Amino acid sequence: MKGKRVLIINRGEIAIRVAKALNELGLVSVGVWTDNETEPPHLEYCQEWVHLAGNNNKETYLDIPKIMNLIDTYKIDGVHPGYGFLSENREFSEALAKKGVTFIGPNPTAVYKMGAKDISKQIAKEAGVPVVPGSIGEVATIEDAVKIAKEIGYPILLKAVAGGGGKGMRPCLNEKDVKDNFAAVQREALSSFGYAGLLVEKYILNPHHIEVQILADKKGNVFHVFERECSIQRRHQKIIEEAPSPFIGNDEAVRKAICETAVKCAKAVNYDSAGTVEFIMGEDKNFYFLEMNTRIQVEHPITEEITGIDLVANMIKAAFNQPLDFKSQDDIKIHGHAIELRICAEDPITMMPAPGKIVGFETTFPQGIRFDHCIYPKFAITPDFDPMIGKLIAKGFNREVALRKVRNALDGLIIDGIKTNIALHKVILNEETFKQGQYSTSYIGTVKPQEKVAVKEEIEAFMLKVAAIELNQARNNL
Amino acid sequence: MRYYFMNQDMKDFFLDVEMLSSQVLEITHEGRKQTLKIKNLAGKRFYSFDGIAWKKLANLGVNETLVSNSEVYKVFRGYKPSGLNKGGAGALITQMPGKVVKLMFKEGDKISKGETVLILEAMKMENEIKSGAEGIIKSVNVKEGQALEAGFLMVEIEETK
Repeated sequence: MKGKRVLIINRGEIAIRVAKALNELGLVSVGVWTDNETEPPHLEYCQEWVHLAGNNNKETYLDIPKIMNLIDTYKIDGVHPGYGFLSENREFSEALAKKGVTFIGPNPTAVYKMGAKDISKQIAKEAGVPVVPGSIGEVATIEDAVKIAKEIGYPILLKAVAGGGGKGMRPCLNEKDVKDNFAAVQREALSSFGYAGLLVEKYILNPHHIEVQILADKKGNVFHVFERECSIQRRHQKIIEEAPSPFIGNDEAVRKAICETAVKCAKAVNYDSAGTVEFIMGEDKNFYFLEMNTRIQVEHPITEEITGIDLVANMIKAAFNQPLDFKSQDDIKIHGHAIELRICAEDPITMMPAPGKIVGFETTFPQGIRFDHCIYPKFAITPDFDPMIGKLIAKGFNREVALRKVRNALDGLIIDGIKTNIALHKVILNEETFKQGQYSTSYIGTVKPQEKVAVKEEIEAFMLKVAAIELNQARNNL
Repeated sequence: MRYYFMNQDMKDFFLDVEMLSSQVLEITHEGRKQTLKIKNLAGKRFYSFDGIAWKKLANLGVNETLVSNSEVYKVFRGYKPSGLNKGGAGALITQMPGKVVKLMFKEGDKISKGETVLILEAMKMENEIKSGAEGIIKSVNVKEGQALEAGFLMVEIEETK
């Protein structure tokens, strides 16, 4: 495996995370830069930098023929797709397989079966895993969507077959909603994932989003690395994740059941990489299979923190048919508690993306903080990409300690020049329902922490701004 | 030197600053004078109001905006701007860069308050831009597929009351 050349078809913090793992394992990390990223910070960690020409995602991170050309030109042995973009694209993994290039992810059949959410549901059902009622397969027209919605009953969710990360999905409360949203979800699906197919599914009220990390090798070993709770979401996108789940808490029987069910799902498709099986858990702790993400996920660090297992490094080892860092399921244990806050360039109150240019960045963190990010002063956040710019991760002896640390870390995180959701995180971390771990995915919609974000003018901030400009002026006049 | 801060609603206030030395600034806000001390340490800049408690000063750049949670302020050094177009409920101005996905109306159409005028895609999200006024579409300055900068006047609506 040593010396193999691995192309990272991604950017931002995940490209940095992957590059770190490749370098550590003795492989050659090859990063890409595109024409609309003038100073991509991820290249700092890549040993080689190659040009992926183009001005938008369709011409760059989603352009399979162009990427295949890069692979030929630069004699690439393997590709890590990160998350998003082509990470769960069947055509891409098949094209790589045809070329004999290692895809750092599952085999193309598993990508195909689990990556397409319509087929994955059927497979889960056949494996004896409970699933949420919904359409079997893709829904082609508005009329079909309305018909299925009538059968399973409203509210329903319209979602992209190729979707993930909450993009390309909208809840519909009635027939009119379905008719109004169908085309929009199709457009979002096409622009975000390059595929417009849609699914219809029952919308469960006040659910918990709990997912199980899977790590498998090419020899048929499938392990689970316990669960994460990702119920704090806005627009169906996670913003805070925890491991282990505070909702499951000390209920070891439920933990065991959900983790073993996830392994069953993974085994059903001969899974052979890192992946995540997502479940919806009702208030009765009954859980339903939602989908399997056949890639590394944004929130993987909290699992790494509580188990000590490097998921990205092991994913790479599995792809090159190397033994994993551990031998049996019993080697994997939970120690303590970890929390991740997604730091996004967005308005803390409306939670809408707010692109801009970072002009100041400083951190003063307590012991035990991990900050996976791609931030630097002068970093321009453009509307071309997801607004997430960093992940603040705290690990503690227990949940209380992790919360204490992450609260203190937020106070020491200064990002100036753009709107961020730091102020919103501060409100959530001090809010009672959250502190007690009693939250569901309806948290943002019902508790509304965004309404408690302070809007008062902070004179101190204005004074510092003035001081900084004056100091810079004085320096320029020298 | 006087600094003016102005938010999106054109509400403004000012601070006066005087540099006494390269490490001491005197800032006056609403008649209250405060001394701000600056020190460089280990490649970073620190500030203090009392010379005892010090905090890291993020390397705040010289760009002319200040973001405070949800508010964005324009900073003007030494002068107060005048003649800025306030916009009003009938002018739809982009709050962030984006791309026009769909236009729902054309010039001369009647529109009521709260109706979606157009869909703007930014950061892979589709945002419905709604009319803030009831009236007639006076001008449409964008086309479907057009990429826009922040602060662009997309549509003007002539209010009818």
